Amino acid sequence: MAGESSQKKAKKPTLEYIQVAFDTPRRYDWSTGKYLGKFYAEAKENGRIVGNRCPKCREIWLPPTPVCPKCKVDMGWDWVELPQTGTVTQYTYLVYPLWDPHYGEKWANPYPSGIIQLDDGTYYRHFLEETDKDKLRVGMRVQAVWKEDYDERGQGPNDILYFRTIEDQEVKR
Amino acid sequence: MTQVTERLEGMDVWIYHGQIYIPNTYSAGAVGSRFLTELRDRKRIMGTKCPTCNRVYVPARSVCKDCFGQLDEWVEVSDKGTVLSYSVCHQPNPVQQVEVPLVYGIIQLDGADTGLVHMLGELDFEQLRIGMRVQAVFKKERVASILDIKYFKPLG
Amino acid sequence: MGQTYHTSKRPDVNQAEMVGEAVRAALADAQLSIKEIEGVFFSNMETFEGIYLPDHGMAAEVGNFGKPGLKVCTGGTSGGSLVVEGFYMVASGLYDLALVIGFEKQDCGDTTAAITAAATPVWGKGATTGAIGEFAKAALSYMETSGAREEHAAMVRLKADQGACRNPYAHLKLGLKSVDEILKSGYLVWPLRLLDFCPQSCGACALIFASEKRAGKITKKPVWIADVEVVHQEPFRAGTFGDPTGKETYTQHVACERLYKRNGITNPRKDIDMAEIYEPSNWEEMSLYEHFHFCEKNEGWKMIEKGITEIEGEFPVNCSGGVLATNPIGATPVIRVAEAALQIRGDAGEHQVTKDVKTALASALGGPNWTVLTLLKRLL
Repeated sequence: MAGESSQKKAKKPTLEYIQVAFDTPRRYDWSTGKYLGKFYAEAKENGRIVGNRCPKCREIWLPPTPVCPKCKVDMGWDWVELPQTGTVTQYTYLVYPLWDPHYGEKWANPYPSGIIQLDDGTYYRHFLEETDKDKLRVGMRVQAVWKEDYDERGQGPNDILYFRTIEDQEVKR
Repeated sequence: MTQVTERLEGMDVWIYHGQIYIPNTYSAGAVGSRFLTELRDRKRIMGTKCPTCNRVYVPARSVCKDCFGQLDEWVEVSDKGTVLSYSVCHQPNPVQQVEVPLVYGIIQLDGADTGLVHMLGELDFEQLRIGMRVQAVFKKERVASILDIKYFKPLG
Repeated sequence: MGQTYHTSKRPDVNQAEMVGEAVRAALADAQLSIKEIEGVFFSNMETFEGIYLPDHGMAAEVGNFGKPGLKVCTGGTSGGSLVVEGFYMVASGLYDLALVIGFEKQDCGDTTAAITAAATPVWGKGATTGAIGEFAKAALSYMETSGAREEHAAMVRLKADQGACRNPYAHLKLGLKSVDEILKSGYLVWPLRLLDFCPQSCGACALIFASEKRAGKITKKPVWIADVEVVHQEPFRAGTFGDPTGKETYTQHVACERLYKRNGITNPRKDIDMAEIYEPSNWEEMSLYEHFHFCEKNEGWKMIEKGITEIEGEFPVNCSGGVLATNPIGATPVIRVAEAALQIRGDAGEHQVTKDVKTALASALGGPNWTVLTLLKRLL
């Protein structure tokens, strides 16, 4: 007992806290399924952006979905090619690098991420090419730029590298 | 930063072979830290004792699960114990830091009222039996981890 | 109720012990023993700590060995859903005394990375920047449509910090003195500055729910949960938290309209005395004033400009520092309910609001824009 209390006294000034690290990635295999798979196929083979259309409310959904979120009916297989130009409605850019769990490293994507309203009205979230903060504006017109190499494609939405600014004039909404 | 997608044969369906990789650090806490530093610095296995229930918890815990009392009485338990159960694992797993086949067991150390899960080594499979006596083998280089005990080897 | 002292790192305890602290604080406040509690419910988001099934390993520290219970995880609203769960358990008559605990020990992992991991991996990898990116886009949208300026967001931040400095349990107590100080801080994800967003905290908060027949025997000052409302939805196509098209329905509108109608609230600012809302960013707080009908559309920034939501104001909001000062995600909505209850009890100490609080509203927000509302009253 006496030995133990003197040990306690010796311990008090230096309290050491141990941290246990766990540093293993968890591996997964995710499937796109049929609907996203159609998007992937059109992007890779034909360089087209497609969405699917609800048989009841006729709204086009991007990303494609098997059930219409509004009407809750089966979407069937009605595909529509969407325009590749649009207008930026919202955007943001990273200043500090953030850890990305899918890539397993810290990076600050230099390309801003934005929400683009394609010319037919559908919204699409993707990168913008413009890295100069002062040139970024809500309302600027952009166009999709695809990966050139066929073998590099097959990544679905990431087959489009980014959206490039095409005009200087602001579009009034 | 490569992404690996693979198209399924004959279908418009892709599989993404990906990962979720977020490094984690866990705090052992004050009680856990003392248990681990005693392993590292003094090669001693310590437990906490509940005076009400007369139980000794190994690895050391801060609360008694039966009476909800907070425990601050530390006792040293022996590095020798009895195997309560064991199993042999032949399947490798990326999370496991040890090679297969891996033998591990639940060991009740002399003086403890709980079982400690750890590996068994320096033995043939024929020696394995419930009730066998084992002793801890410590590593030369210790880092305040439960793996500072390399394994438990059979006694006598 | 009981809370831990929320902070950014807790190396002195592991997750289970931290939760144990909140449990003991709650039991001490209610002067009950753990044996009397009939069920224990948890809320936690596992990916943030990387500990799978955390409630399975803490029976000793929490004292729920042999008791029923379950864990709730609904994203940011986990704590809110937990409060609703506890409420149903007791109000239904199944339990007389239930313990609900929200906890999160965020020094174990990277929160933004975990939220980024929630993005569907086969769509939009790399374009999601965690929760911050989504709120950044919503903030930009709000700035453009309502006429709010960065100064208004900074005023909200200042109010939160002043409240936090008066709250012993809050995490970030920066001692900010002026709006200019905030406007000098750097951008994190444009247009959000480092100070515009909530921190990553370690903390736990425990509440004890008692049935009507037990409550009177336990305490002289019970706080009653009068009503709850939960509304979920899918992400907006044009932005997760802010919708620039004006066509989408916000869960906040649906939730508060239903709640107000059921409770006869026609003028929220008069019928409710104060609110503890879940605002992950200061811009979002201004939008939420509008969504919960505390003011007209596009006027949220005027409320902060006129000082209506300060501690001494006509309609105080988040005088405890809110989420901007303390955010252990699994616990945060539970803390909102706990703080609202403290105000009703009159026990909030230095951050007690000047007016008498008889009715309070606590809200929870999660991705994608889920809402949980809890209405608390002194007398039913």
